[in-house]
Amino acid sequence: MKIFAVGNSFYGDDGVGVAVLERIREADTFPGADLFDAHTDALVLLDRFMPGEMNVIIDAADMGLEPGSVRAFRPDEVRVKIKSDHLSMHGFGLGETFILAEQLGTMPDNVLIVGVQPQRIEINQGLSEPVAAAVPRVISLIEAEATE
Amino acid sequence: MTMNLDINVEHLTRVEGHGNIVVNMKEGRLEKAELQIVEAPRYFEAMLKGRSFHEAAIITSRICGICSLGHQMGSLKATEDALGLEVSEQTILLRRLLTHGATLQSNILHAYFLAAPDLLGVGSVFPLIGTHPDVVIRALRMKRLANDIGDVVSGRAVHPITPVPGGFTRIPTEKELMGLKKRLVEEMVPDFLATVETMAALAGKIPDFTRETEYISLRNDHNYAMYDGDICSSDIGRVPDSDYLKMTNEFVVPHSTSKHAKANRSSFMAGALARWNNNHDRLCDASLTAAETLGLKPKCYNPFMNTIAQVVEAGHCALDSVAIIDQLLEGGLPNEQPNQEPTKFGTGVGAVEVPRGILYHEYSYDRKGRITAANCIIPTGQNLENIDDDMKKLVPEIIEKSKEEITLTLEMLVRAYDPCISCSVHMLDVDFIE
Repeated sequence: MKIFAVGNSFYGDDGVGVAVLERIREADTFPGADLFDAHTDALVLLDRFMPGEMNVIIDAADMGLEPGSVRAFRPDEVRVKIKSDHLSMHGFGLGETFILAEQLGTMPDNVLIVGVQPQRIEINQGLSEPVAAAVPRVISLIEAEATE
Repeated sequence: MTMNLDINVEHLTRVEGHGNIVVNMKEGRLEKAELQIVEAPRYFEAMLKGRSFHEAAIITSRICGICSLGHQMGSLKATEDALGLEVSEQTILLRRLLTHGATLQSNILHAYFLAAPDLLGVGSVFPLIGTHPDVVIRALRMKRLANDIGDVVSGRAVHPITPVPGGFTRIPTEKELMGLKKRLVEEMVPDFLATVETMAALAGKIPDFTRETEYISLRNDHNYAMYDGDICSSDIGRVPDSDYLKMTNEFVVPHSTSKHAKANRSSFMAGALARWNNNHDRLCDASLTAAETLGLKPKCYNPFMNTIAQVVEAGHCALDSVAIIDQLLEGGLPNEQPNQEPTKFGTGVGAVEVPRGILYHEYSYDRKGRITAANCIIPTGQNLENIDDDMKKLVPEIIEKSKEEITLTLEMLVRAYDPCISCSVHMLDVDFIE
């Protein structure tokens, strides 16, 4: 299994993926799993998806739910809004990465996105209360999916 | 002649950042031509105040996923300057190698994913996957190898962990470096040559526009300056990096939360074209040949050619990386420990070239090795006034074109600079398909 975190831990709840990854690392929840912090460069995933394995991506996601809500979904279950402004490479995110991977035929079969609804995305270094409380639920959810 | 023109390209893209192109012409008189932008590291000082010198580079490398290596290098150099930490020749070579990897990656992505779609008349890189899959795959292969330089040298590609104040916590092995060298020679060099061919076929479509400005980059006596050097201006020559404030003179404009900058004129340009104009004599032969093929002359005043300068520079990054690896191997890769014993506690400046221009970090430390003041000037901020000045000259020159063509040309101009537009947050925005 490969577990990716996407997001920036200096922007509040955008760092939820990194927080989950650290918790998994500390507790060695998934021995043998390859953990990778992609930070804000989602394009890195293109090189690091593991075909034939379960690829989990943890990210803050605006799903229109209550802050701290956790939801796991497959890429084909959602419409990821492409926000790239094409003025800058800084606009390339997970949505663009999925399109590239799909069109190039390198999208692994088994991709699970675990989205956490953020409360605040602003510069500070901590997670908000509801999102911090969601961290163990994210891990349980991955555990459940992994054993399915 | 069109007497009235209103362009307002709004790119409300991220939670908290955006870049808008706003142009307004009334009765033949240009009233407004500006890029409105919000840049990320504006809380820089607050983030760093009170932090120990061990933490500064870790924090700053997280400002931006794309520029993380550059921030880390600038930060380490500022800390070492402030604390009087000498670093070894091996450390400098490893950092230069890292810098080449990061520049190579960014330049290649910019040329293929941002500039090429414009020159081919498609809206983004995605249609190219269908029409030119080999080209997209080549770009990604080059990006991957550039990433791998970071992985091998710094521990991981995206935000490096082994470079610390005073050196590295881990030195790559001979086997790892030999592996990188082999791939650089066997994969990267042929891919670079193919890239030059691809770009040569497109270069004729680059808008013909000239505006001479002041070009500012680093320059040193030894190499094509990326990791260190004096600040070099095409107007006044070289000044020490400690004088960076005189070469940036930040000022506030109403249309941007990001500060603008100037040095000896109303604006200046930083980035690959500035480096080319100031340092082309330091490039390797393969890059100079590429420049000739691509029509990049020793002094080039067309900002759209910044992309071509990036491609030319990418070749140098690849070949000089091979030379650096050879030097490292010759040195025997001693397992040096980082020098973390401060000899003073003062103020220091770190200036490095990152893909978009010179990045400056400046820190002051107290006697406990904690930061009391910090400053960071990113290249996008330095280029903003120059972009506005370009637009003011460009718009009247292309006013006979359709509004759509003018808009596209202005977008291409902004893209040529590849500005950092609110890079710090990449939250997913999803709708569930019912």
